[in-house]
Amino acid sequence: MIVGEQKTIAEIKEIIAPYSRVLVLGCGTCVKTCFAGGEDEVATLTSALRLAYNKDAKQISLEEFTVERQCEDEFIQEASAAISRNDAVLSLACGAGVQAIAKRFYKVPVLPGVNTTFIGMLEKHGLFTEECLGCGDCKLAVFGGICPIARCSKKLLNGPCGGSQNGTCEVDPETECAWQIIIERLTSLKQLDNLKKYIAPKDWRSSNAGGPRKLVREDHII
Amino acid sequence: MQPNITIFHCINTFADGNFLPVGDNVNCELNMVKLPCSGMVKDVFLLRAFESGADAVIVMACPEGECRHVEGNIRAQKRVEWTKKILDEIGLDSRRLTLVNISPGDVNSAIDAIQQTISSLADFIPNPPATVRETAVA
Ligand code: SF4
Ligand code: SF4
Repeated sequence: MIVGEQKTIAEIKEIIAPYSRVLVLGCGTCVKTCFAGGEDEVATLTSALRLAYNKDAKQISLEEFTVERQCEDEFIQEASAAISRNDAVLSLACGAGVQAIAKRFYKVPVLPGVNTTFIGMLEKHGLFTEECLGCGDCKLAVFGGICPIARCSKKLLNGPCGGSQNGTCEVDPETECAWQIIIERLTSLKQLDNLKKYIAPKDWRSSNAGGPRKLVREDHII
Repeated sequence: MQPNITIFHCINTFADGNFLPVGDNVNCELNMVKLPCSGMVKDVFLLRAFESGADAVIVMACPEGECRHVEGNIRAQKRVEWTKKILDEIGLDSRRLTLVNISPGDVNSAIDAIQQTISSLADFIPNPPATVRETAVA
């Protein structure tokens, strides 16, 4: 899932300041799961903004709406009427959602209310961890299902670095050493020999470093 | 104008807080919201209470270790702390939102908490601002 975090109220107030009618638009999938932009967060943020405007004796009209996924046209359409009633959209989706709305509603300013942070998982209720960098050339089979690119602070493909202490990373003691986990897991899978091979430096052209990527599925295009 | 205080309370604290014998010594308008468990309280409910004109909001939960649903009161505490951060961000002074742990039926502690809240209100800017209040009354 995409993990994001709501921007501060001060920043959101600044972003929406030029507009008098704003639609706060949630996304009911990834950002709902990480408590940044689902229906509940739309309601909380809208209430907080109304209180803030009231306190400053300022006027604003805020409308709430949430679609299932802001990155799909089929769902975006449901918000058309609400979008047309407002001067701007404050999107609480990830960056893909913000841009999907901007693309479809060419003349409407679309503003981000969330900082999109990483591709991750729900480790436990309220804790989300980064697991994938979307590099476009997955090598998890070699590393026992643990990604050294996303989870080792130094992105070492031929680790560990030697600085790991009691299973934690020397860069940040709050982070588990990815290479400790890789070695433990490969040992239990009896695949430690995977690490005898030298892993060549990563070719980052398959990642975003090679420019914006596209995925084409000819069998789905008419 | 009397201060307006909204109380969210767990039904295990008081079956119905409307029967709290607040008497003449508590000079305020009280709105009681009963919940099956204090753990059901959410940021948006607390903020909406302020939007509806509450000067202060008190969440009354069972003492730690005594929640019938095990951790409802701990959840309530966390949600109150989270909402306090939002109030501070807005500049509304988070001290107007409190959680008090009250043993089932301990009416005196509940009334003490209300009285303390009323006396602390003098330190805060009014919510909603006077202009909004006057518009609402008119
Ligand atoms: S818009 Fe972003 S947050 Fe919403 S479903 Fe799509 S990828 Fe997930
Ligand atoms: S301690 Fe472990 S996770 Fe941290 S940089 Fe070294 S190998 Fe990577």
